[in-house]
Amino acid sequence: MAIFTTLATATSVVPLLLLIFNLLTPLALSLSSDSIISELSALQFQSPTGVIHLTDPLLRRILALPTPRPFHFLLFFDAQSLHSKAELSLPTLKTEFSLVSSSFYTNNPDQKALLFFFDIEFQESQSSFALFGVSSLPHIRLIPPSATDLKKDSIPMDASDFSRLAESMAEFIESRSRLSMGPVHRPPIVSKKQIAFITVAILIWTPFFLKKLIAGNTVLQDKNIWMAGAIFVYFFSVSGAMFNIIRKMPMFLLDRNDPSKLVFFYQGSGMQLGAEGFAVGFLYTIVGLLLAFVTHVLVRVKNRTVQRVTMIIVLLVSFLAVKQVVFLDNWKTGYGIHAYWPSSWQ
Amino acid sequence: MAALETPQPSTLRHAFGNVLSIFVLLLIGVFAFSIRLFSVIKYESVIHEFDPYFNYRVTQFLTKNGIYDFWNWFDDRTWYPLGRVIGGTVYPGLTLTAGTLWRILNTLNIPLSVETVCVFTAPIFSAFASWATYLLTKEVKGVGAGLTAAALLAMVPSYISRSVAGSYDNEAVAIFALIFTFYLYIKALNTGSLFYATLNAIAYFYMVCSWGGYTFIINLIPMHVLLCIVTGRYSSRLYIAYAPLVVLGTLLASLVPVVGFNAVMTSEHFASFLVFIIIHVVALVYYIKGMISPQMFKVAVTLVVSVGLIVCGAVLAVLIALVASSPTKGWSGRSLSLLDPTYASKYIPIIASVSEHQPPTWPSYFMDINVLAFLVPAGIIACFLPLSDASSFAVLYIATSVYFSGVMVRLMLVLAPAACIMSGIALSEAFGVFTRSIKFQLPGVSQNSPVNAGDAGNVMQNDVVKTEKSEDSLKERPSRKNKKKEKDKVERASVVPQIEKRLLVLPLEASIIAIFLLVLLGAFYVVHCVWAAAEAYSAPSIVLTSRSHDGLHVFDDFREAYGWLRHNTEVDDKVASWWDYGYQTTAMANRTVIVDNNTWNNTHIATVGTAMSSPEKAAWEIFNSLDVKYVLVVFGGLVGYPSDDINKFLWMVRIGGGVFPHIKEPDYLRDGQYRIDSQATPTMLNCLMYKLSYYRFVETDGKGFDRVRNTEIGKKYFKLTHFEEVFTTHHWMVRIYKLKPPKNRIRGKTKKAKSKASSKRSGTPKKNPWH
Repeated sequence: MAIFTTLATATSVVPLLLLIFNLLTPLALSLSSDSIISELSALQFQSPTGVIHLTDPLLRRILALPTPRPFHFLLFFDAQSLHSKAELSLPTLKTEFSLVSSSFYTNNPDQKALLFFFDIEFQESQSSFALFGVSSLPHIRLIPPSATDLKKDSIPMDASDFSRLAESMAEFIESRSRLSMGPVHRPPIVSKKQIAFITVAILIWTPFFLKKLIAGNTVLQDKNIWMAGAIFVYFFSVSGAMFNIIRKMPMFLLDRNDPSKLVFFYQGSGMQLGAEGFAVGFLYTIVGLLLAFVTHVLVRVKNRTVQRVTMIIVLLVSFLAVKQVVFLDNWKTGYGIHAYWPSSWQ
Repeated sequence: MAALETPQPSTLRHAFGNVLSIFVLLLIGVFAFSIRLFSVIKYESVIHEFDPYFNYRVTQFLTKNGIYDFWNWFDDRTWYPLGRVIGGTVYPGLTLTAGTLWRILNTLNIPLSVETVCVFTAPIFSAFASWATYLLTKEVKGVGAGLTAAALLAMVPSYISRSVAGSYDNEAVAIFALIFTFYLYIKALNTGSLFYATLNAIAYFYMVCSWGGYTFIINLIPMHVLLCIVTGRYSSRLYIAYAPLVVLGTLLASLVPVVGFNAVMTSEHFASFLVFIIIHVVALVYYIKGMISPQMFKVAVTLVVSVGLIVCGAVLAVLIALVASSPTKGWSGRSLSLLDPTYASKYIPIIASVSEHQPPTWPSYFMDINVLAFLVPAGIIACFLPLSDASSFAVLYIATSVYFSGVMVRLMLVLAPAACIMSGIALSEAFGVFTRSIKFQLPGVSQNSPVNAGDAGNVMQNDVVKTEKSEDSLKERPSRKNKKKEKDKVERASVVPQIEKRLLVLPLEASIIAIFLLVLLGAFYVVHCVWAAAEAYSAPSIVLTSRSHDGLHVFDDFREAYGWLRHNTEVDDKVASWWDYGYQTTAMANRTVIVDNNTWNNTHIATVGTAMSSPEKAAWEIFNSLDVKYVLVVFGGLVGYPSDDINKFLWMVRIGGGVFPHIKEPDYLRDGQYRIDSQATPTMLNCLMYKLSYYRFVETDGKGFDRVRNTEIGKKYFKLTHFEEVFTTHHWMVRIYKLKPPKNRIRGKTKKAKSKASSKRSGTPKKNPWH
């Protein structure tokens, strides 16, 4: 930590401190650490997001620095060949990783030399992968300044730490490195020019719309649109989607014991996963829709057999849906809902 | 002859139907009341939780000192040294209701205590609420749907959770007021009668008196009006239903001190004024349209629209500038967090910290509205076939409330009536179709003997008249005089659709199965509701019970502690605790508190939070500067009570750190994890909350095993330097400490001897020589 501060303020540092520093570490090494940092800074500057592409020689030179090194560094293990596998979502994680990097550098312009972001490609740097003992992806590792043994001393990011993408990665770095990350700056979905354009478009469109509205032939007068909208809002809410948005829950988790398996349902009523919510929301909604179908549409059908077959299917589906929800609820919450029969009946 | 005879059974039928519905409603009322009595039967007749204690205290004051003193009451028992103006900061509806109830009972020579009246206010109003639901649903879809909805509402768990006997809180009367206001609005809309519109404004006034949730009404009704205008449903009835509500309602609302000028100054109310302007413009347009020729009208429209747009733009710009100039854009934090759900978690920890402000997961819906969640979509669709003013309101109500409930679990309460109305409509329609299918296809009936056919026809006719009537009522409702004539017409005309209607049936056996399944669903709902009322929502949380293999355990530690405070401390002593226990301390111990559940002053709460998160000496200084004599902490580690102060501690840190930046959350976390075992950070192990909670804890079992966190505590043996333990309840759930008096400046050895003596517990409260 001492060296680290000295270096950061190297320009205005007291000569005495430098002297001590030089006495402690061989001069040549100190020079090389300086040169590496300036090289890394240059690379960092060249990269638009601040993520440096790491190669085996560069890694070797970094590792050759005496510990404690003057910076933390974060390594994203990438493999182009696996980008096509959707369940690993490597491209997403990589963009999120670069988002963390660019946010860190914009938030802390004075700490650029304290934390470096690297990505490393499997095809060209297999030996580095072996050095870290990385055999499965996605994998992100934080290497603290004091790390000597890369396998033991570096800290791998858990699946839970990148489950909420950039935000949770930033939290992870913050808690492990004691560097303040600041908020993650996501690029806005619409730029300012687009906003201005949309406003103008709306302003121009309003009078025409009003004219149509008075005439009474817009989509707004179509009650089916409203019906679909109301049902959708209902589905959206009962599925707990707001919970997923506010808590930024993932759609599913990877099983801790067996990473090839996916967990869709989370036990415990205080939490839910995205896919789980939508599945149950669908079950909630489908029963009502089927009931409405029977009472409003099916009664108008003239063919008796069609009516009979449809009704049996509808009843079966509804029954199974209700049963499934009751089962899932009991499993998730662990409540034992029971009736109060007279004790003599038991 | 036949013509004379037929109306007779019909009127008899009607009369019988009416009597039966009144009887059913009565039973529903009794049921709604009695299902809420589990808490009294299982525990005792006692006020529950936190806020109700404050309401109870206010009611006591009201009944003792009268309304004028209540209005001017400045309470110096809370928020020391600031105090609180109760009359101007409280929603008086509930208190006035219970006070009036008590007064009436006393004048009738029924000597009930104020507490008893308070305990049973909520169940009584739940019965009223279910009747109001009947009225509202009847206006939307007829009597059958109304009765079903009322029965569903009587036992919907979400509402039970806020209205069991003893849960003496604003929502208890507010839900009734909410439904009743909606009913009167729909009634005014359907009849176009100014009488109902005026009543509506008064009901709205009662709602404003009762609950902050009135903003839901004053935004929902304008939304509905706007919707009607946009979809081309404007009528003079709409104007009559809406305009008086805005004028009278706003005037009345500003009479309530807690609302006051907010009724015209905050953004929550702007929507109603904007729609008020729009409806006038639209009314004018319709009026002019009726006066001039279509060509002239077209010219006028282009002229007015172009001029109007410019004026509107200017007004809007000014309005936006005005609103944007205030930091929260004129919206209160709670409303903002509804519009932007992520708002609270980012900016207002005090709102985000309350458990009932969290977003719910899907099991919450199953717990709180149970099988209604399945039926609502059917109800929504039924409301669209046919769509009327009233049913469009019901749809809007369910859509908005279900969205809000998705943001905050507490607003599930507003969703519950809407869900009941929708499910009532769905169930009643489904039963209608299925029973009809069975009735006309039963082997005995289907043989077309003339007598049977007549009978069936008669019944059918009744049915048709009813549906026709309701459909008609949904469309154009003419004035009362015309209505009778219309009815006659309908009755005469109804023979024609009878034939058409008869075809709309489903296969017999499938209908029987369907009815059986629906009844099963209903039965499941009843079982669930009774279970929820009995097990989940009846705990008063002031008395706790736990069932273990060796029988029932009762934990009455809270009252024990408050009793101790009442009997063993001076009347003017100040007690500090986390804000959750403020109301209870003032109500039950009658001692002054620093902060309470009315979280109006964030800085003050942050001060207490900072003291709790500071080391002993710093905490002592903070408390001493606030004149605090006693500090109360709630500790669940011995008996496994999970909602204790250690579990709430991170919020104290967060809220404290929000105002005093030297308190930093990461200092209390080890690698982002909150822990109190040997891995805990030194800041955590040295903070006041840790010390007060775990002082002498190791003496209980020798290991210091915390049964809530399921771990051994990190620091077991330590002494307190600035606080002394004065009382710990039977199960250690409440621990009370006294601030040690400042030490005299004595040099040398005598100092040590002194400090030893003071660390021993002594019964005499007067330690300070200056006393």
